Amino acid sequence: MTDTLPATRSDSDVGATPAPTGSSRRIARLDRETTLMLIVPPVLVLLVFAGYVLWRQTADLDGTELRQLRWSTVITLIWEHVRLTFVSSALVVAIAVPLGVLLTRGRFRRLSPLVVGVANIGQAAPSLGLIVLLAIWLGFGFWTAVLALTLYGLLPVLRNTITGLQGVDPTLVEAGRGIGMSSAAVLFRVELPLAVPVIMAGVRTALVLVVGTATLATFINGGGLGDILQTGISLFRFSLMIAGAVLVALLALLIEWLGRVLELLTRPKGL
Amino acid sequence: MWDFIVERRGQIAYNTLQHANLVIQAVLVATVIAVVLAVLITRAPRLQGVANALSAIGLTIPSFALVGILLPLTSIGTVTAVVAVTFYAVLPILRNAVVGLQGVDQILVESSRGMGMSELASLWRVRLPLAWPVILAGVRTSTQMSMGVAAIAAYVLGPGLGGYIFKGLSQIGGANAINYAVVGTVGVIVIALIVDVLLLLLGRLTVSKGIRV
Amino acid sequence: MSTTPERTGSADTSISGAEIVLDNVVKRYPGQKTTAVDSLSLTIPAGEIVMFVGPSGCGKTTSLKMINRLIEPTSGTIRIDGEDVLTQSENDLRRRIGYVIQGGSLFPHMSVAKNIAIVPKLLGWDSSRITKRTDELLELVGLDPSRYRDRYPRELSGGQQQRVGVARGLAADPPVVLMDEPFGAVDPITRQRLQDELLSIQRELHKTIVCVTHDIDEAIKLGDRILILQDGAQIAQYDTPEVILGAPAGEFVEDFVGSGSALKQLSLTRISEIALRTPTTATVGERTDDVRRRAESNGDMAVIVLDGRGRPCGWPWLRQLTGEKLVEPTEELINLDHRATLNDALDTMLSSSHGAAVVTGDRDQYLGVVDFRSVTEHIRMLEEQAARD
Repeated sequence: MTDTLPATRSDSDVGATPAPTGSSRRIARLDRETTLMLIVPPVLVLLVFAGYVLWRQTADLDGTELRQLRWSTVITLIWEHVRLTFVSSALVVAIAVPLGVLLTRGRFRRLSPLVVGVANIGQAAPSLGLIVLLAIWLGFGFWTAVLALTLYGLLPVLRNTITGLQGVDPTLVEAGRGIGMSSAAVLFRVELPLAVPVIMAGVRTALVLVVGTATLATFINGGGLGDILQTGISLFRFSLMIAGAVLVALLALLIEWLGRVLELLTRPKGL
Repeated sequence: MWDFIVERRGQIAYNTLQHANLVIQAVLVATVIAVVLAVLITRAPRLQGVANALSAIGLTIPSFALVGILLPLTSIGTVTAVVAVTFYAVLPILRNAVVGLQGVDQILVESSRGMGMSELASLWRVRLPLAWPVILAGVRTSTQMSMGVAAIAAYVLGPGLGGYIFKGLSQIGGANAINYAVVGTVGVIVIALIVDVLLLLLGRLTVSKGIRV
Repeated sequence: MSTTPERTGSADTSISGAEIVLDNVVKRYPGQKTTAVDSLSLTIPAGEIVMFVGPSGCGKTTSLKMINRLIEPTSGTIRIDGEDVLTQSENDLRRRIGYVIQGGSLFPHMSVAKNIAIVPKLLGWDSSRITKRTDELLELVGLDPSRYRDRYPRELSGGQQQRVGVARGLAADPPVVLMDEPFGAVDPITRQRLQDELLSIQRELHKTIVCVTHDIDEAIKLGDRILILQDGAQIAQYDTPEVILGAPAGEFVEDFVGSGSALKQLSLTRISEIALRTPTTATVGERTDDVRRRAESNGDMAVIVLDGRGRPCGWPWLRQLTGEKLVEPTEELINLDHRATLNDALDTMLSSSHGAAVVTGDRDQYLGVVDFRSVTEHIRMLEEQAARD
């Protein structure tokens, strides 16, 4: 449910300097992992979803179960879940990237360890606790869930934006300034493009984090596929538990896959 | 708030310990599983991509969903919590252990074999010590993550502080809702930080001075 | 402290470079006791290559970067073509100054053409002009535009990347080009080729080029002038390579210039330091037959003719000796002063039909002859000495 990219991985994504020869094997391995992760999850999702459809059409379900697993209901829940995920992730990017940029500029640079440290501690808060506390404070509903998910997804993108920008070879920045690019031009045309792979790795992590945590939105009436799970557990219906779990897992895999594709598409040529 | 804590200090202390206990034990077991798996995986380089992909897929599955899948098998209570927490705990450690073992300079391994160490001795005395800092970083990530998973597992009556958060949720509007939720949440943060500091200390003690950064 | 050595040679009319004048330029970093650059005054003549050399930390790079204001001077003025750089916006200023950095510092996410086109684009050139200029520059640095234009930097060798770096520096045809260790990141053979190319480009373009290097050989090879700096960017010497090699101003320069290849030793070793050959000599007025006999018994095919005061005045072959008595030869003999360097000796020898050169001492007194063999022997000796050390 949570992110765990070890630092070594995002470091190898910093593209400014040519990779030392020793790491070529590691890059090959990462490529293998990337290839697998681009092919396997969609296939898996399709197969399992086909299995779900088959089960759904043939299983002997009682009234409660049928009500929960009605196609229109399921589609609404998926839509809610996707909406939670994308609205929160968009907010995460909109907040974390500019903040990350700011924390690598001039006099704000000194603040970046402090901010990242605070964010790290914040990340230690259980997602469930964060959601419940915000709900007590702001009331139930979609937007409270969005706020909680946004807060929860901030750190990976913020951290990777800072890491990515710091990883840009300073001589390239100076080269840009030296040939007469304004600092804004250097930021938008040199630094950010070069940091994009690292930032996007953070975005993917945040997507996975958010889509998983969005399952908990059901506890505060925020909607999403967690509804089926929660109903299943509280009524102790195995069919609902499994169905809800499978649907959530499939959606999460699909979103992680989307993140990978996005990462690949945004990667600047030449890196 | 203070009165609330003092009144229930015994119970809170008990649940805090339970939470820490669940996580620490699960992470310990997970470390052993992950390192053994990583050692086996690094013997066959082709498996590494597969292992990383599997661990990425595993981490993508929401913990609440895993709890749902486990419930028919392990029923409500501690067992589900332990299995779920351990499952997630393995993945980051596994990934880091593979990276760490892979990162050990092949020349060092060869020279250890060349001076007559058995494969096991070379693993125990050269590869694992050199990979240990990376593995330990995985353990830290894993521990922090497990704290949150354990809280969610309280929904199926797992042990620990998660129960307070759910109590707060169910009593919303009541006088103690916020107290329960805060105690649960802050409690988890506090143990997470304490355990993290302990792990850092463990690193100071167990990482060879020669490779410490 | 102002130093303005007089121009030597190269009275070329097509100079497109601009003069750079540094006047009492100071750079002090807050919180540092020593001054990075302490009152540097310097005139860099238009159209010349001036090399900044010195030990690391001497302030040479700081001095360079103050010219395009990558580092802002604490005080003092810098004028390019009479215009104070501090009165201009730094971006406008830099767009008129080429900047070439070690390894090329190409932007890895931009193609070769895009890298070169950055400054023209910033200056608002239209796209057809930019395309034309890009191809022109690739030709200039010896890269086939149709092959290299759309490549990415990582698809180029180090030398090619550096060439593109030079092309980028020249993109908007700036009068001044600053280079910071431009060829530091490539192998020696590539470096030599790049240096040769830079020289030929410069023969065509006549920019004012200021180049920082730590390599004194590079400085000697490329520089019309060399500025040798010591701590705090104090000028140890600012002069032509010939003067610096021939008459180093003090121990610091001598030490700095002194270590290096045998070839540079040729520019530093005086003829007086090596053993001279002494072929048959004759004095004007001697009997030709006697001279011929003497030479033949020595195994010489030519004799060196001295005038009445012991000054060499000719070096005829024996078959050229006619008449009863020796007369002063009419063709001019190019003598070498014994203080000349071995490098000069080699130049002279190459233009002599004897493969050797006559050496004279004070008041043009004949001392002997230096030939290729004695020079190579000297090099071998130096190498042996270096090996022993």
